[in-house]
Amino acid sequence: MKKIIAVHSYKGGTGKTLMSTNLAAIYAMNKYKVALFDMDFRAPSLHAIFKVNSTKYWLNDYLNGICNIKNVIVKCSNKSANKSGDNLYLALANPSTEAIREMAAKDRKWEMKALGRLLSLRNTLLNDLDFDYLIMDTSPGLQYSSINAIVSADTVVVVTTMDISDIQGTQRMIRELYDLFEKKTGIIVNKVPIEMISTLEEREKLRKKYEEISNLPVIDVAPCFCDVLRLGGNTIFSLEKPEHPFTKILQEIATKIQKL
Amino acid sequence: MKSREKTLRRSEMQLLEKIKESLDKLNEKMEIIIELQKQEPRNLPEQLPDALDVMTLLSLPDHLRKTAITICKLGRATADEVAEQTKRARAVESAYLNQLVLMGYLKKERVGRKAYFYVEREGEKQ
Repeated sequence: MKKIIAVHSYKGGTGKTLMSTNLAAIYAMNKYKVALFDMDFRAPSLHAIFKVNSTKYWLNDYLNGICNIKNVIVKCSNKSANKSGDNLYLALANPSTEAIREMAAKDRKWEMKALGRLLSLRNTLLNDLDFDYLIMDTSPGLQYSSINAIVSADTVVVVTTMDISDIQGTQRMIRELYDLFEKKTGIIVNKVPIEMISTLEEREKLRKKYEEISNLPVIDVAPCFCDVLRLGGNTIFSLEKPEHPFTKILQEIATKIQKL
Repeated sequence: MKSREKTLRRSEMQLLEKIKESLDKLNEKMEIIIELQKQEPRNLPEQLPDALDVMTLLSLPDHLRKTAITICKLGRATADEVAEQTKRARAVESAYLNQLVLMGYLKKERVGRKAYFYVEREGEKQ
């Protein structure tokens, strides 16, 4: 089933971008047509990961009403992402300081129009352009751009760490944000020390424990692998290391999200 | 004799239809009054709001948020079309939509017998 997925978090640095880029790559590898949107206008990152140095139009231009979404979407031609076939497409946020400043200064009326443009993507992307998945990588916390993405999405995937402030913030966002917009939500507890979940049973036990203590719908718990850090965000992990245990976990998470 | 009866019946039907239409309109107005009475005057915004953005959507009571989001998604719609999406009664949606108009978040336009509700976005076609 075609789906719009927003990947969000309460705090920064939880692994949102790692999760959204890998989800996109895994779905594309599985022959789905995927669009990955960089909705983090305060700190864009997809241009760096996919090594796109210039583009005629940015996602900022679409939201500003300057161009059509078809002008923004580019086919991913990155070397490692090529393994995902011709199915992965990108819409990038403008990383220039001027563009970040401009996006931060938008007023409520602009945000309302931007919401209208994001809502219209469902028809353009999923129906007209026949995409199977639209994945939106967002800014952490209660940012206008993130909430706009959440309202436009079918499913919200929230990436949290084990940090108590992160867990509590996520609980609050579920009660006071996702539930109010009646969104299907799934939590991923990321960066769990590997020795805590070295077996499948331990992983499932910890997942259940988080579900009980936090009363959150926890999709999975993912370990912190130094191999991920070693790559320095230079490539898409699941494509670069298809046999790595972390890739297997990412693939399982991708399947669970499809079923949400 | 028969044709006279037919004409009489037709005019009776027309009268009944007119009465039904008036009752519908009355019902709609009553729903608005009831909704407005639920709101304390001090809870109403002092100045008319100028945008139905996500932060405003978050601040709305649950029942109105659902209606407002549906209009955001549909762009422009009648109470019937909103009711179809929200699975609530048409009269209820009509009352909520009219309340959102009174609160300044939505615009209403009558085309013939139908009333269309929409979010005003300057410089964009409705």
